[in-house]
Amino acid sequence: MDSNKGIFGLFGSILRNFVLFLYALFVLFPLIWMVILSLKPDEHMVTTTFIFSPTLENFRAVFGQEGFLRSLWNNLVVSSLAVGLSLVVGVPAAYALGRYQFKGREEIAFTFLSFRFVPEILIIIPLYLIYQKLGLIESVSGLVWVYQLISLPLLIWILRGFFEDISPDIEGAAQLDGYSWWQVFFKILLPMVKPGIVAATLLGFILCWNSFTFALQLGGASMQTSTVSTTRFLASDTVHYGWVAAAALLSSLPGVILALLIQKHLVRGLSFGAVKG
Amino acid sequence: MASVELQGLTKYYNKRRALENLSLDIHDNEFLAVFGPAGAGKTTMLSLIAGIATPNSGTIKIGGREIGGLAPADRNVAMVFESYALYSQFNVYDNMAFPLRSPKFKLPEDKIKERVTHHAKVMRIDHLLERPIQALSNGQRQRTALGRALVRNPDLFLLDEPLSHLSANLRHSMRVELKEMRTQLGTTTIYATHDYREAMSLGDRVAMLNGGHLLQLASPDDVYFRPASIDVAKFFGDPEVNILDAKLKSSGGSKLSLHMLEENIPLPLPPDVVQVLNEKHTSKIQVGVRPPDVRIAREGDKQAFHATIYSFEPLGTRSILTLKAVDGSLVRALVDGHQTFEMDRRTQFRIDPHLLIIFDAESQRFLARSAEFSEEP
Amino acid sequence: MAELLYRKLVKQYRPDLPPALDRLDLKIRDGEFIALLGPSGCGKSTTLRMTAGLESVSDGQIVIGGKVVNNTHPKDRGIGLAFENYALYPPLTVRDNLAFNLRAHRVKQTEIDKRVAEIAKYLHVEELLDLKPAALSSGQKQRVNIGRALIRRPAVLLLDEPLSHLDAALRVKMRTEIKRLHTEQRFTTIMVTHDQLEAMALADRIAVLNDGKLQQFDTPLQVFNHPANEFVAGFLGEPPMNIFAVNADSNRRLVVPGTDFALPVTNYVGRLLGHRTSVRLGVRPWGIRVSHTPSEISVPGTVSVVENLGDETRVGVRYGDMLLMASTVMTRIYKPGLKVHLTFEDEDLNLFDQNTGERLTA
Repeated sequence: MDSNKGIFGLFGSILRNFVLFLYALFVLFPLIWMVILSLKPDEHMVTTTFIFSPTLENFRAVFGQEGFLRSLWNNLVVSSLAVGLSLVVGVPAAYALGRYQFKGREEIAFTFLSFRFVPEILIIIPLYLIYQKLGLIESVSGLVWVYQLISLPLLIWILRGFFEDISPDIEGAAQLDGYSWWQVFFKILLPMVKPGIVAATLLGFILCWNSFTFALQLGGASMQTSTVSTTRFLASDTVHYGWVAAAALLSSLPGVILALLIQKHLVRGLSFGAVKG
Repeated sequence: MASVELQGLTKYYNKRRALENLSLDIHDNEFLAVFGPAGAGKTTMLSLIAGIATPNSGTIKIGGREIGGLAPADRNVAMVFESYALYSQFNVYDNMAFPLRSPKFKLPEDKIKERVTHHAKVMRIDHLLERPIQALSNGQRQRTALGRALVRNPDLFLLDEPLSHLSANLRHSMRVELKEMRTQLGTTTIYATHDYREAMSLGDRVAMLNGGHLLQLASPDDVYFRPASIDVAKFFGDPEVNILDAKLKSSGGSKLSLHMLEENIPLPLPPDVVQVLNEKHTSKIQVGVRPPDVRIAREGDKQAFHATIYSFEPLGTRSILTLKAVDGSLVRALVDGHQTFEMDRRTQFRIDPHLLIIFDAESQRFLARSAEFSEEP
Repeated sequence: MAELLYRKLVKQYRPDLPPALDRLDLKIRDGEFIALLGPSGCGKSTTLRMTAGLESVSDGQIVIGGKVVNNTHPKDRGIGLAFENYALYPPLTVRDNLAFNLRAHRVKQTEIDKRVAEIAKYLHVEELLDLKPAALSSGQKQRVNIGRALIRRPAVLLLDEPLSHLDAALRVKMRTEIKRLHTEQRFTTIMVTHDQLEAMALADRIAVLNDGKLQQFDTPLQVFNHPANEFVAGFLGEPPMNIFAVNADSNRRLVVPGTDFALPVTNYVGRLLGHRTSVRLGVRPWGIRVSHTPSEISVPGTVSVVENLGDETRVGVRYGDMLLMASTVMTRIYKPGLKVHLTFEDEDLNLFDQNTGERLTA
């Protein structure tokens, strides 16, 4: 649309920016509020809104709480391993789905995608029973395995598009140039889908990190992730909003920072495969 | 350097028959043009020879040796794909060096540099070696793909429609350059194309494929002047050859003449053609007339057919004239570009019977053409 | 059907980039078939889209039938557009596809039936009326496409690369049909194409565009035989014109330095040359005569490559980096390595200014 249309020009632009500002405020407010809460001392919690004297005692208390740091570590381990497993399993799967024609191809692809449709809470009870039988409650491997439901569909969905976009001629050319199929896969194909791998890995990590339901039920007492341990602050006799806010902030910070750092990759990786020439 | 033998090659993709029982021999150091429209089976044929696809049945021999089980890397065949298939993460130099760095060759870097720079000079891209692929024009990409194939000194060179993505002008110049480079290619080459000019200009012989079948394997001259069937005749020549029904009538003794377009104008057939027709006892024929051989006649010419001008398309040096004959058929003529013609005006045209291609109407196959046509204007 | 005018038409997408279309001035007569010809990015599609109202006008005017239509809604401009990709509605029959537009404008059913029958007759699609698009061939789809554009009796018919998706043989046949159709019905038509053969064959006049600027606007034969500049000369004609740089030496010859090419300057060429010392020389392949025997005015050379293309033989003679291509009727007498002598007629020679690219005229 040409914005040379006189009247609408200036006025429209101010209106546009104002609406965007309101929306940004709406979206960011919880985060801002959380930051404020985490810096407020207990005494000022219910008496003031925006004017207060900031303090770091909430953070000190949270770090002091037994197990909180450990839960951050757990989350890191479980999320990383989960994404790692998804890569090992998902990249070849994405290749197969993108490259080969076989019966049931779309059904299988859809099945993978469908893992993301199901609310975790719906399947948690039967899953708990199964895990109990298998002795996987409160274990790293148990969580890593169930987290595949979160990171795997994403990876396959994104990378399939990338593999589809690579002309099969490239594989033929590299083979004729003297490489075995495996060498072609690692030397040529993987580098070509790198943006997709980066985007899917980082996004998958963020989603695993933020996961709550599975970690809560299947992690048990000893394998708590930071999302779960944050809730402990709610269960005490008095609710220390400051502590909750501080814990929540610390827990969500890695995800936010990671997302900001890799914005560029996310956009490239998520849209690249989808747009056809 | 190698000869290639294809025996009974068949390839299906799901239910679609891409190649059916193809048998073909290619001589050592020959440049074979494989010609056919889209979907004819050309790319399939090249893919099977290269080893990037496996046939459902049939054998392939290179240099007398069966290569059925060999991986592409072991066949010493180089292929230039229609899409070029360049590695987008490398620059021109690394693209050309890639095959030489593979486990198959493992050449030392200084040798690689020698070969790459030499072939880059031949392809006239030596000033582009540092450029990433994305920064190249189509023509430059095509030369890089050719260079990458040349660098390996393969036994067999496969080219799949290398010029099809270039602009019309570039296609003309690249085609001529490829012909000039023929000696430098120095090895058995199979060149697939849907452009009949490329096939006729570049090929020592032309293999015409359609629907997975081999329709004719012959020299370019033979395919043009003595096409094996009406189908083949239609694919060579621009504008397309005119195919007309005709009746044979005896005109005294052993002479035969042709009647066409429902006009009583007998065209006496040359004796060598008559001989063939008598031997084959053919009565029902169809006739192929190439547009350049349809000549506008002077008014009152008794030997000329009558027509009105249906359409006139000036193309510059020459023009396409579509004539509507007395029986309603449309006959295309290629005439000199300096004349203009008015729509629907009555006119007359002549056809030299020496230039006719005679086909059997039932089998659609080639019967005869006079050898007595002159080569000089 | 009406007259169409472009008055200093401009399209600027971004202020920091050069305009996609730079002050186009064209006057198209009622009933004329105009081709907008040029390479991709030259501004031809932009012009068509502005005419249709699918793209806004940055500056200048579009006048259809005497009315300025810059701000008129596409549906009220009196144009019919046949898209490049057919866009026929798959679930509707041909009849319904044709009638769709009229129904949307609430035309009476009796009138719709009359017009559908009329159009079907003009375009020879009468037997196809009850079929669905999936059952049609490319050529038939294209005719229905044009029919759909014509049925509203537009003032101007706009064709967007109508033949580019057809295979070669069908393209030639459809070209003849469109030519015939236009001669019979004479609807004012603007066709966009990058294929110069199409433009030559179909248009009454061709507007050649490059980089948003109009290069030349004239009949096909004029544009072909008297190109305004080097771009037009090189763009029209197949095989393309040979164009190369030459210097005028002290012996009144045009030479390609470092090679045997030395063409004696005739009076005509001398007049064109003026006082220039270097110029670009253009000659079409059919304008070069190849011979075994030398003459006073011939240029010697060695045959580098020969192409036998059935009814035409092309002989290539190399002079350094430049390969000069000559076309003759089919012959077998030339072989690579043979010494030949080339002659040129004055009327086949084109000289272009090496800075502006303009063709020099006496």
